[in-house]
Amino acid sequence: MVLGAVPAEYYLVLSAAVFCVGIFGILTRENALIFLMSVELMLNAANINLIAFAFYWGNLTGQVFGLFVMALAAAEVAIGIGIILVLYRNFDSVDVTEATTLKW
Amino acid sequence: MAGVFAYAPAIAALPFVSFVVALLAGKYMPKKGALAGIIATAGSLGLSIAVLVTVFLGETYNETLYTFVGGDVPFELTFGLLLDPLSAAMLVIVSLIAFLVHVFSLGYMNDEGETGLPRYYASLGLFTASMLAFVFSDNLLMAFMFFELVGLCSYLLIGFWFRRAGPPSAAKKAFLVTRFGDYFFLVGVVGVLTTFGTAQFAGEEGFPALAETVLNPETTAQAVNTFGFEPATWFAILGLLVLGGVMGKSAQFPFHTWLPDAMEGPTPVSALIHAATMVAAGVFLVARMYGFYALLPTVLAVIAFVGGFTALFAATMGVVKNEIKQVLAYSTISQYGYIMLALGTGGYVAAFFHLTTHAVFKALLFLGAGSVIIAMHHNENMWDMGGLKDHMRVTYLAFLSGSLALAGIFPFSGFWSKDEVLYEALVHGLGGSPLLLGAYAMGLAAVFLTGFYTIRMVLLTFHGEARSDTAEDPHGVRWNVKLPLAVLGVLAAVIGFLNPLPIQKLTGLEVDFLHQFLDSGPEALLTSSHHYGDLTHDYAGYSVGTIGGGETVTMLAGAGVSLGLALLGAGLAFALYRGAEPTRHTEKLGGLQTLLMHNYYQDEYQVWLAEGLTLRLSGAADTFDQGVIDGVVNGVSSVSLFSGDRLRRLQTGIVTNYAALIVLCLLVLLGAFAALGGWF
Amino acid sequence: MTTRPQLHTETSKAAGILAVALFGFLAAVFLTSGFGTATGFAEGSITRSIGYAMFNLDAGDFASEGFLVSFITIAIVLDAALDGAVMLAKRDEEGDS
Repeated sequence: MVLGAVPAEYYLVLSAAVFCVGIFGILTRENALIFLMSVELMLNAANINLIAFAFYWGNLTGQVFGLFVMALAAAEVAIGIGIILVLYRNFDSVDVTEATTLKW
Repeated sequence: MAGVFAYAPAIAALPFVSFVVALLAGKYMPKKGALAGIIATAGSLGLSIAVLVTVFLGETYNETLYTFVGGDVPFELTFGLLLDPLSAAMLVIVSLIAFLVHVFSLGYMNDEGETGLPRYYASLGLFTASMLAFVFSDNLLMAFMFFELVGLCSYLLIGFWFRRAGPPSAAKKAFLVTRFGDYFFLVGVVGVLTTFGTAQFAGEEGFPALAETVLNPETTAQAVNTFGFEPATWFAILGLLVLGGVMGKSAQFPFHTWLPDAMEGPTPVSALIHAATMVAAGVFLVARMYGFYALLPTVLAVIAFVGGFTALFAATMGVVKNEIKQVLAYSTISQYGYIMLALGTGGYVAAFFHLTTHAVFKALLFLGAGSVIIAMHHNENMWDMGGLKDHMRVTYLAFLSGSLALAGIFPFSGFWSKDEVLYEALVHGLGGSPLLLGAYAMGLAAVFLTGFYTIRMVLLTFHGEARSDTAEDPHGVRWNVKLPLAVLGVLAAVIGFLNPLPIQKLTGLEVDFLHQFLDSGPEALLTSSHHYGDLTHDYAGYSVGTIGGGETVTMLAGAGVSLGLALLGAGLAFALYRGAEPTRHTEKLGGLQTLLMHNYYQDEYQVWLAEGLTLRLSGAADTFDQGVIDGVVNGVSSVSLFSGDRLRRLQTGIVTNYAALIVLCLLVLLGAFAALGGWF
Repeated sequence: MTTRPQLHTETSKAAGILAVALFGFLAAVFLTSGFGTATGFAEGSITRSIGYAMFNLDAGDFASEGFLVSFITIAIVLDAALDGAVMLAKRDEEGDS
């Protein structure tokens, strides 16, 4: 019960803060690489929640899922980087506001 | 002999086959399809006679052959055959006239080198087929279908010479005027189906029998849907609706205007239309469903008055016409007026009798006129003829026989039938329905005019000196013209003895064959004439009244008066138009002649109805349609186009904007949940 | 010319307000809701337990469901993602600018 002193609310606020930083990045930046990083932040915000509630309920499942999320994040980054490479090859830029040719 | 009925559908199928053959292969046939038509109608005639004999021996047939809408529906729609004395006799008349018209067409069309003959014979075949099918229909819907087909074929045939100016317009007029009446008929058919759940003509399940059960005060009323009206009122409405189609087809006032124009068609077609098919279809329909009309005194009175009025009205116009076919056209309208008068006054047998004799003598007169027209190189003006009797012996004699029949001169057929029509009107008028006496008076006045214009026509055409070069040296006609004329000429003289009622009354001999025949047949069909007599007596209050103390005296008095009037009219015409060079006496009528020549301005007012009233109304409707209805539709579409165009801007293709929207919506959603769920 | 990716910094920060607002909202919700005390874990090695749970073995200090199927699935997904990334990143062999 070493960590029992920290209430669950704080974990949640921390997670929300990290998540909102990720969203902020997505909303304000135009660079695809920054996007990837922001998404990574949001995933890890979710991880914080998972771990916090694993502890809160005394259940291992949250912890295991944290691991899985990391693995999926790795996969996502791999694909994301690949997409960014293709994007760069086609538009000579990694600016997401330029790749708008798939709209209507 | 019941096996004959199995072949009865072939009566209509044979001319239909000839229609198909003439249409597809007519070009390659020696007579351009005429032979196919002649063989087919001869086959129909043979079969019809076989059916007539079978029916005469006491067998009848009332079967549904094909159900095209059935099963789990409120009412079934079927095709079927009804062969009772009425339809069997009518089948013989129609197929006989059609056969003779086909033969005559060889002379009128083939020998004159007309083009488009396969089309002509195909239409003629379809015309015959649809009329025959109409005659043996066993229900109102099937009758309506073939009624319409008859109308279509008459359109095709009247407009046969479509490259000239007149015929297409006349064809359109005939089609539209009759179609106007048929609208009412269609509504009436739907009304009958929804009211009774059946449209069968005959038998206990037929709609006349159902209507009788409903109206009979002694039976407990069956549940039929009368849409909130009194049953009698509602049935009268239905009867009048169906009557609309009848009046259109049978050219009764005020729908008669198409018929004189229909003279633009080839003359054999006119003969077919007037004698046996198109125009006869209307009155035949009334006779077919007479069990229904006999229940409705109001409708009967309407029929009688329309008939009497039309008889007189058309006869006045026939007096002044100069073209031979025009005179005949108005006489047709007038004679169908008589038939309607007979139906309206309860003279079911008299009506059918007059229908029969009229079919014969009017076909004869038209074919005779056709022969004259061939001889005159297609000049129809009677003032250019004259003296033809020496050149065309067969035509003259036959035409004379038909004319005397039309005028109602003893002992030709028209005398017997017209006399019986007037007798029925008179006795029922005397017997408690004084209204009918008015119709009778109009019919009587028309007798005089009929005698006058018929004899005038004969004198102008055949007598006196030739008044033009073509009349001096007329074109000869061949056997194929003379044969039908001879057959019909003999028939027109003797067919009246089918039913010489005065002879029966005087001598007591059982010679009223048509009465007996139409009275035969099984009771179950409920189509015998004495059943109709009971109905008119019980429901319409028709009973027989007499003058001078007996039916015989009444009959002789009536016959004497009508014969006297006919002779008076004929004599007047003879006196006026005798001589070698007759003068144009009708010009002395002055303004009246102008009025009559213009057909009482019927066409003008109908054109005004169409152009002045309907066109404007439809123009207003069009404006409403274009402006309001289309405006709403166009408005809806442009609103959605516009809003779609604006909403499309949302899709910028920029990921950031999508993300911003998602976040915004998430916020709104969370806010809503928070507010509703009371999170704070 | 060299086309190296450039970091744009001159972008509209207006949309960022949304993120800030979201954070404010979430924080307000979380802080006003009471969670009570956590259950926590008893004495024992969490890490070892996770390892056993991954392989559906029931030898850990804490009882848990088995995750072998998920584990294998994630492994395959990772593999596929790597292959996909390589395929995307690879230039077309012929005729590529």
